[in-house]
Amino acid sequence: MNLTFHEKNLWLLLVALGTAFGWYFVRVLPPQGPDVMPHQIALFVLVTGVLVVAEVLGIIAIAIVDRRAERDERDRLIELKGTRNGAYVLATGVFAALCTALATTGNFAFTHVLLASWLLAQLVEIVSQLAMYRRGA
Amino acid sequence: MGKAGGRITNDIRTMRARHGDMTQQELADRVGVTRQTVNAMEANKYSPSLEVAFRVARVFGVPLERVFRYEV
Repeated sequence: MNLTFHEKNLWLLLVALGTAFGWYFVRVLPPQGPDVMPHQIALFVLVTGVLVVAEVLGIIAIAIVDRRAERDERDRLIELKGTRNGAYVLATGVFAALCTALATTGNFAFTHVLLASWLLAQLVEIVSQLAMYRRGA
Repeated sequence: MGKAGGRITNDIRTMRARHGDMTQQELADRVGVTRQTVNAMEANKYSPSLEVAFRVARVFGVPLERVFRYEV
């Protein structure tokens, strides 16, 4: 496959996000109580930190291999469409998180429905962009 | 792709061949887009903006309608 710089970045982000937060959710689910525990907050901070570092190092590595990092109108159009697709999921997720907050006690369920919604929105955004790169936009 | 049943097609591949077998990358560099975008245009998977379409036609030194067509 002949990928653009931005497609490579998207694949990197997809793998990094899926791995990091997949591991996070495996560790924190099922919930141990109604509220988020301090060690779960620490785990979240760790996962976020590792994700940021992995992303920065990955982008540097991709930029070294592929020096053509320019963006054109097709890249911007695909990014806009992907962002729109992700926004639908995020808006639905925020509504679901609000309903969860009203229906449950403690903050664990609310924060994790919100986090899962954000993660799902990101994944939808990335996957839809990758699909548009492959089939045209 | 068109939204009213029509679609924009083009002769970019033919025009490149007529211009000394210009590569997709050469055309992309002269137009100011990525090689993948040129490839997507040639495969009729992406309809460029009017600005990019004019730049493509200018590279080949022909009017816009010699490169792009709207087919219903």
